[in-house]
Amino acid sequence: MRRVCALALLSATFWSSVGLAQDRFNMVGEIDVRWVEASGPTSYLYGGLGLLRFDSEHQDLRLGYLMLAPQFRITDILSAHVVADAYDDHDRNFIDLSEAYLQARPFPTGSIRWSAKAGAFYMPVSLENRGPGWTDVYTITPSALNTWIGEEFRTIGTEFEARWLGANYGYLGDVALVAAVYGWNEPAGSLIADRGFGMTDRPSTLFGGLGMPPMEFYHQVDHNPGYYAGLTWRHHDILEVRALHYDNRANPSAMTSTATAWRTRFSTMGARLEPTAAWSFIVQYIDGNTTWGPNVYFDEQFQMNYRTAFALTSFEWQRERFTVRFDDFQTSQISGFYGPPSDVVGHAWTFGWMHDLGAGWRLAAEWIRATSRFPQRIEYDESSGLIESQVQLAVKYRFHWGV
Amino acid sequence: MTQIAAAARGFAKWITFACLSTCASSSLCLAAGLTVTVLDRGGHAVPEVVVTAAPTPEVRTAPAASHATATMDQHDLAFVPQVLVVSVGTSVEFPNNDTVSHQVYSFSPAKRFQLALYKGALHPPVTFDKPGLVVLGCNIHDQMVGYIYVTEAPFYGKTDAQGAAHLTNGPGDYVLTLWSPYISDPPATLTQTVHVGAAEGSSLKFQLTRDLHARPEPRPRRADWEY
Repeated sequence: MRRVCALALLSATFWSSVGLAQDRFNMVGEIDVRWVEASGPTSYLYGGLGLLRFDSEHQDLRLGYLMLAPQFRITDILSAHVVADAYDDHDRNFIDLSEAYLQARPFPTGSIRWSAKAGAFYMPVSLENRGPGWTDVYTITPSALNTWIGEEFRTIGTEFEARWLGANYGYLGDVALVAAVYGWNEPAGSLIADRGFGMTDRPSTLFGGLGMPPMEFYHQVDHNPGYYAGLTWRHHDILEVRALHYDNRANPSAMTSTATAWRTRFSTMGARLEPTAAWSFIVQYIDGNTTWGPNVYFDEQFQMNYRTAFALTSFEWQRERFTVRFDDFQTSQISGFYGPPSDVVGHAWTFGWMHDLGAGWRLAAEWIRATSRFPQRIEYDESSGLIESQVQLAVKYRFHWGV
Repeated sequence: MTQIAAAARGFAKWITFACLSTCASSSLCLAAGLTVTVLDRGGHAVPEVVVTAAPTPEVRTAPAASHATATMDQHDLAFVPQVLVVSVGTSVEFPNNDTVSHQVYSFSPAKRFQLALYKGALHPPVTFDKPGLVVLGCNIHDQMVGYIYVTEAPFYGKTDAQGAAHLTNGPGDYVLTLWSPYISDPPATLTQTVHVGAAEGSSLKFQLTRDLHARPEPRPRRADWEY
C-alpha cells in the first residue's frame, strides 16, 4: 500500500510539473562561415601532420560549423538535450550528434543540490567552451587543452553532481563535487599519441571520425567502466576553480575488429578570474599519460606522457572582445619505438577579436601562430620544426527559438 | 561679528564631535526622521544595505499584519533588486522578464517555496509571513542569487548609491539594524540602539570596520552561456 501511495505521489508530482512547465521546447542554432588564409603542412584533419584545422590546400571560404542545440523539458526537473554539428570536412555524416543526454535537477531542499546527467556529453573541464553547443566564447579556436578534450572525450554514461549552495550560509559562492562512470571511450588517447596536441574548433562527433583515415573514439572495446571525479569552486562571481582526475581504466591490450583500447589518465586544473565585468583571465593545465599494446615486453608497449597549459586574457568593451592566449604543449613517448618518436613539442600564440553586430550576428577574426617540433614529419619529407599560421575571419549568426 | 561667527563654528564642530563620539557607544540622541549613511573601511559609500529601525523592546507593540505588495523581478539572469526589504505579511510577485525560463526557490527557514519553470507572470504572489532572511535561487541558473529581508520593524529602507537610507520614523528609542550580503562585519556590531529626538533632519554615519566580501556590482550575463 505504501508503495502504491508513493507511486501515486510521484506520478502526481510528475504530471503537475508537466502541466506547469513553460518553455517546453527551445533551440539554439548557429552557423559560422569563414574566410581562411593558412600556411603550413597539411592539417591532420586531411591526413597530414599539421596541428591546425586548415592548411594551404584547405582554405579560402569554409563552413566553420553549423550547430543546432534543441532542448526539451520533459518535466520541471527533467530535461533532454541534443547538440548536432556539421563541419563539411568529409566526415562520414554531414550532420552528426556531439551530445545527447538527459539531465535531472531536483529543487534543492537543503544546502546540497543534487543533479545528474545520463547519455553522451562533455566532461566539465573547459573554462573556454561555455557557449551553446560547447562553443568557445572568447575566440574562434579553443586552447590545445580544450581542443583535445573536444576531440577524444565524451562521457557516455552517467555523471552526478552535489553542489553546496553557499548563499544560504552567507557565502557568495558554491562548491560542487562531480563524479562520472562511463564506457565507450576506450580509444581516447589514440589521437594524442599519433599527432600530439592540435588547435582546432573541430570536436569529434559521436558517430563520425577525425582525420584521414578517420579515427573514432566512441567504441566499447573492453568492459571496464572508466571514471572521473572533480571539484568546482565558485567564489563571488569572480573566480571559478576546477580540478578533475580522469581515468578510462581501459585494458591497453584489448581490441576489437574496429577499435583498440588506450589506457588514458590525466589530471587537470584551471581557474577563471573575472575581477570586473570586462576582464577575464583563464589558466588551465593538464598532465597525464596513455598506454597501448600488450604488456609482454615493457619496451614494446607504447607509452606516452603529455602535458599542456595555457593562459588567456580577454577584454570586453561595448560590442568588442579582444583575446590573447599563449599555449604550451608537449607529448613525450617513453616506450614502443618503431621509428622516429611521436613527440610533439611546441607553443602557440592566438590573437582574437569578436564584434557583436546585434540581432544574433557576430564577426570574429583570429590569428594563430603555432611553432612545433615533430620528428615524424621527416618521414613526410617535411622539416621537423615548423611554424604554422592561420588567419580566420568568421561571420556567425545565432538564433533562439522556443515554444 | 566675525569673532562670534568663528565661535559659533567652533561650537558647532564641538557638537558634531560630541555627537560622533557618542555614536561609538551603543546609544545616542538623534532628531526625528533619520538618514543612515553606510561607509566601508575606506570611507566609500556602500549601496544596497538594508537598514531597519524598530522601537526598543520596552515600547514595542505587536506589528499589524501588512497587506502590502512588492515585486522581485528577473532580468539578465539576475534578481532585480538583488536585495528586497519588506515587512512581515507582504505578498511578493516574481515576474520573469528574461528571455529564458527560471525556477525560483528558497529553502530558508523564514520561507520555503518553489515556483515551477516559468516566464512572465505565471505564478501568484508569494506571501512572506515570518520575519527573517529569505535567500532566493534559480534551479537552472546557480549564479542567480537574491535576498528578501522580511522585517517586523515598522521603519526600513535600503541605502542608495551615496550609501544613504532615509527612514521616516518619529521621535523615540529605536533598535537600528544593518544587513547586506556583502558586509563582513560581525552581526552584533551592526545593531545599535538610538534615540531620535523631536527635531528633524538627523543623520547617522555608520563606518564598517572590515572589508566588504565584494563590491555590489551588477554583472551583465548572457542567457545562452554556461556560468
